[in-house]
This record gives sequence, C-alpha cells and structure tokens, in this order.
Amino acid sequence: MNIKLRNTLGEIISAAIAIIWVYSKLDAAANMSIVLISQVLVQGIGISILASILFAIVMSIFSSIITGSYEKNIVDERDTMIELYAMRLSSVIFGISIVIILALLGWFNLNINFGIIAITLAGFFASIASNFLKIYFYK
Amino acid sequence: MAKKKINIENSVRRLRFDNDEMTQQELADLVSISRQTVVAIEKYKYTPSLDLAFKIALAFDMDIQEVFYINQ
Repeated sequence: MNIKLRNTLGEIISAAIAIIWVYSKLDAAANMSIVLISQVLVQGIGISILASILFAIVMSIFSSIITGSYEKNIVDERDTMIELYAMRLSSVIFGISIVIILALLGWFNLNINFGIIAITLAGFFASIASNFLKIYFYK
Repeated sequence: MAKKKINIENSVRRLRFDNDEMTQQELADLVSISRQTVVAIEKYKYTPSLDLAFKIALAFDMDIQEVFYINQ
C-alpha cells in the first residue's frame, strides 16, 4: 500500500472517528444549548484533523520500519487532478446536503440545533465520499 | 470537424527496458513524479500533460512523438 492510499484511508478513519465521537456526545441535542453543541462540533472537527495527522505519522513510521526506507510523498499533476475531482464531489455533496437540510428545517419546523449538527455531519460524509473517490483513482 | 475520441498511447514501458531496464521508480525520480503516475501512464489510464510528456521524452533522449502517439 503506497503513502497516498495510506493517508487517504487515514482521513476516512479520522472522519469516521469524529462522526462517532460527535454522535456519542450529542444524545439529547434538542435540549442542549447552541453553545454546547458548537463546542462538541468544533471538538469533533479538531479530533478529525488531529487523528488524520497522527495516523499519517504513525503509519509513516511503521512503513519505514517494515520496508527499511523512507517513502517520500511526491505530489505531481495526477495527484492535483485527483484532488480536484475529489474536491468537486465533496462540494457537490455538501452543497446538496445544505439545501436538503434547510428545506427539511423549514418543512418540518425542526430545531436549529438539528440543522447545525446535520450540516457538520454532512461535511464529514462529503469528506469520506471524496476520499473514497480518491482511493478509486489511486487503485 | 466531427468529434472523434483519440486514443493516446505510449511506449514508455518498452523504452524503460531498452534503457538498461530502468525501473519505474528511476523514471519517476528523473521526471519528478510518483511511481504510481508512471504505472498509470504505462497502463494508458492517465494521459500526461504536454509538459510532463516532454519531460518523459527528454528522459529517454527522444522526440515526444516517438514516445506518445495516437492509436488510430
């Protein structure tokens, strides 16, 4: 498994960890204050970023120990193109999600807390989907 | 002019072997790309930019049309 696949998998796992963490902390979201919800969501985003960095470092160390050589992460024009495709998919999913969430909020007269949580989770899911697209291109 | 899909192919794999069995990693290092990109180019899964195509041709000391060509 090359460094790009490892890092992409790391990002997927980190986003999944963040989703689980956010979900476990928001049990009675309707009764929570907007400040508390925002704190949980920001912490979730922070956990996702930190986990992906840690995953990349740990996997890089393990890979170096196993193979006995340091694998450089070279970014070339193909990587840039794949990154653009992934970003496009991510923004399409996130954009559609925001429209659907806003429509649902208005339609069912839902609490704004649900809207904020749903939009953040949509961001995580968009990130996961774009990372799967990257894996498809790298394979 | 009618739209016609063109299949750009290359002889990178053959040229590597003709050049003292150059490895994919060696070619990648020569033109500053990743080994995965060399693999994708050889399998015709990725068509490089003109800039990169010229770099690859120069790495083999050949003209670009000798490395990349259209399969009719």
